[in-house]
Amino acid sequence: MNCNHSQGPTVVEAPIKINRRWPEQGFTRIPAWVYTDEDIYKKEMQVFFAGDTWNYVGLECEVPEVGSFKRQWIGDRPVIMVRNEEGDIAVIENRCAHKGAQICWENTGKVTDFTCPYHQWNYDLNGNLQGVPFRRGALGKGGMPKDFDPKQWSIKRLRSVNRGGSIWATFSDTAPSFEDYCGPEVLAEIDHMLPGKKLTLLGYSRQLIPSNWKMYLENLKDPYHATLLHSFYITFGLWRADSKSECIPTGGGAHSVMVSHNEGKKKTEATAEMERFRDDLQILDAETVTPRKEFNRGRVGGAWIFPAAQFGIQANSLKTRHVIPRGPDAHELVFTYYGYEDDDEEMTRLRLKHANLLGPAGFVSMDDSEMLKQVQSGVTGYPDSVSVVEMGGRDTEPTDYMVSEVLVRAFYKFYREAMEL
Amino acid sequence: MNDSRNWVQVAYTGDISPDTGTLKVMVGGEPVCLYRLDDDSIHATADRCTHGNASLSEGYIEDGLIECPLHQGCFDIRTGEAVTAPCKIPVKVYPVKVEGDAIYIAGDAS
Repeated sequence: MNCNHSQGPTVVEAPIKINRRWPEQGFTRIPAWVYTDEDIYKKEMQVFFAGDTWNYVGLECEVPEVGSFKRQWIGDRPVIMVRNEEGDIAVIENRCAHKGAQICWENTGKVTDFTCPYHQWNYDLNGNLQGVPFRRGALGKGGMPKDFDPKQWSIKRLRSVNRGGSIWATFSDTAPSFEDYCGPEVLAEIDHMLPGKKLTLLGYSRQLIPSNWKMYLENLKDPYHATLLHSFYITFGLWRADSKSECIPTGGGAHSVMVSHNEGKKKTEATAEMERFRDDLQILDAETVTPRKEFNRGRVGGAWIFPAAQFGIQANSLKTRHVIPRGPDAHELVFTYYGYEDDDEEMTRLRLKHANLLGPAGFVSMDDSEMLKQVQSGVTGYPDSVSVVEMGGRDTEPTDYMVSEVLVRAFYKFYREAMEL
Repeated sequence: MNDSRNWVQVAYTGDISPDTGTLKVMVGGEPVCLYRLDDDSIHATADRCTHGNASLSEGYIEDGLIECPLHQGCFDIRTGEAVTAPCKIPVKVYPVKVEGDAIYIAGDAS
């Protein structure tokens, strides 16, 4: 192997061997070790995040000017999204070619170039090495060898695409085009939310959830829990088991599209059976949950784009969710809230107001992070246990109803194959 | 020379290192780098690189350019122009006169 070359991911090790056996019932069962095993986690990082996948990096509006950057992670690999001198967006590894240190330590900012603090190796906005200190030595002594060629020691720039203002990147040279990777159903959802209008950044919320990253993925592929766990929905009758919904697994089960239609408050047999549904309680500020009409479809939900992104609409709140795995038993969850350049003041206010349902202290989302912590504790204590996902049947066919775990089954069908389990 | 500029004697030509062709001097609290080029002409620029925190006097002279020791960005010693990346902002150039072997620079930089 030619050690003189820093390009390309450094995955040259043999495939990780997993000495585990999946329960014989197949994808209707999930063994607890997928959430706790170190080797499983390492293989996921290699096969998925560093493999033939397209990963969400950010929104173009986050880096408006030349030199504007955003620090990001793809799986456990730190990267930087930056607007270069040509005005394009580059996604580069956040890793000095010298000793491997992160060259960027801030979440966002603006620079003219990047300098590693350790030995001050300096890179341009595309990751090209511009110079190294003491290349000619000090006081005539030392220095780099005469044949040291800075061009050989640039930071890898990832393949990236811009879809309607959203930036995606892959470490892989063999991954299909972004469009083929997503497929028409997922692309239609992205294009619906990012219709080509210029976006405006409204803000972020970030949290560290003490559970495996796949639990969050499953949670967003599981509309079954929404009417049961989320007392905010139930109390005010906002999302019910009889809401019109669709669950569509795509990308062989990796991605999914989930749609629910907000039809206003009503009492039916399905909701009457839920003991926590309270007719006598009313939300005082109905605007908290009432969207202004937009898009001509009162839909809630969105698309999960494997491995770690979800695009969705909650009332008038537009947001991306991004999951950053932090070891087998933790992940970071980042919501990025945005609007459109032609939004009026009222719409911007509503987008922000409806964001109150989401994030670490969101009226709805706060239940999820608390719940996933409980699941992680449960599975960690019982590593040989299995969970069962049979709601709505044992198949992976799309449904036109909500009380279903079909998207979770479809995901594990994909997962077993990809992970060779 | 009879002009109104405030000439300050800062060094003698023999002080400039024959090895590096550079000498760092302090003028009014500001570090200034003196250079002797192959044609024996003497020049002066601000000593601090406009890109990183480095002393140009520790740099390397080639073809009338000073290469910064930190990231190898180059400035034209005669004009101060930033010639190669990562340097983009020109470095301040000082007027120089030599009388005998005494080097003078004028504080009102060009």
